[in-house]
Amino acid sequence: MKAHIAAVGDIHLGEDLRGKYRAQVAGIEHRADVFLIAGDLTRHGTVKEGRLVAEEFRDLQIPVVAVLGNHDYHSDAEEEIADLLRDVGITVLDDNSTVIDCNGMRLGIVGGKGFGGGFAGKCASEFGEPEIKAFVRHTKAIADRWRIALKELDADHKIVLSHYSPVKDTLEGEPKEIYPFLGSYLLAEAVDSVGADLILHGHAHLGTEKGNTPGGIRVRNVAMPVLRRAYACYCLDGAG
Amino acid sequence: MTDEAPQYVAARVQQALAEDERTHELGIRVDVRGDQLFLRGQVPAQERREIISTVASEAAPDLKVRNEINVVEVRDPGEEEAL
Repeated sequence: MKAHIAAVGDIHLGEDLRGKYRAQVAGIEHRADVFLIAGDLTRHGTVKEGRLVAEEFRDLQIPVVAVLGNHDYHSDAEEEIADLLRDVGITVLDDNSTVIDCNGMRLGIVGGKGFGGGFAGKCASEFGEPEIKAFVRHTKAIADRWRIALKELDADHKIVLSHYSPVKDTLEGEPKEIYPFLGSYLLAEAVDSVGADLILHGHAHLGTEKGNTPGGIRVRNVAMPVLRRAYACYCLDGAG
Repeated sequence: MTDEAPQYVAARVQQALAEDERTHELGIRVDVRGDQLFLRGQVPAQERREIISTVASEAAPDLKVRNEINVVEVRDPGEEEAL
């Protein structure tokens, strides 16, 4: 049996797009078993936008699993937005996991927004002022929680759903100067240490879709401006 | 204003586009050439393209805004990739 996965990030819904995205996901249940959303569902992270997103995604015929992105945190209403999404049946991951029964296979998803810091050799260190230390510690704490969640996950296939990127490959096209704000290698390192079948992320609108971790795990940047499609479809083979 | 280096003007416009609550756009490229301000990138709706011009004009009122932002049509999902 195979698992068919639909994924998108950075849809940045606002009143001007009300109804339009929903129309584009019509029939998604014929293409995929699960819909994964890689953060930045809103533009400003307001409760009003959260409500709009919940209305756009409610009553889809397949399970929807989401993480939030930096835009969804902007108005300090991330908890309320997550609750609004949960109220319509969306699973919102925050450095934890869920398992979905997918054609008799257990599809495990570890998810969270991730964070920045940069990539091996050219990254921030836990050194100096408290502000820099706090920045780096935030990413390290997230990476640690993902490592534990992946280890504890009992599933046939494992997917990691993030907003920030774990690798540079999928940032190709973005200015190199802003890489440290787009992701962190600590995220990839954590996933490589345990293993997974696929990592999905968004955030880098100018990046490219396909990449790999240093350990060889497939990474896909599903930010909608990168895909230029309503969502991408991936198939994981039951053979694992 | 006349003595301000174009790099600082471009940076101020970029910050305005990111921080102004009407836009919050992080992915727009801003270039200043002489008395012209060029905006490049892509957005999903015409309204967003227009408000970006407004916010950019307010941040750099002496420059002529050249809005070269594309409104991108979102296509169907297309082919599935087997992993």
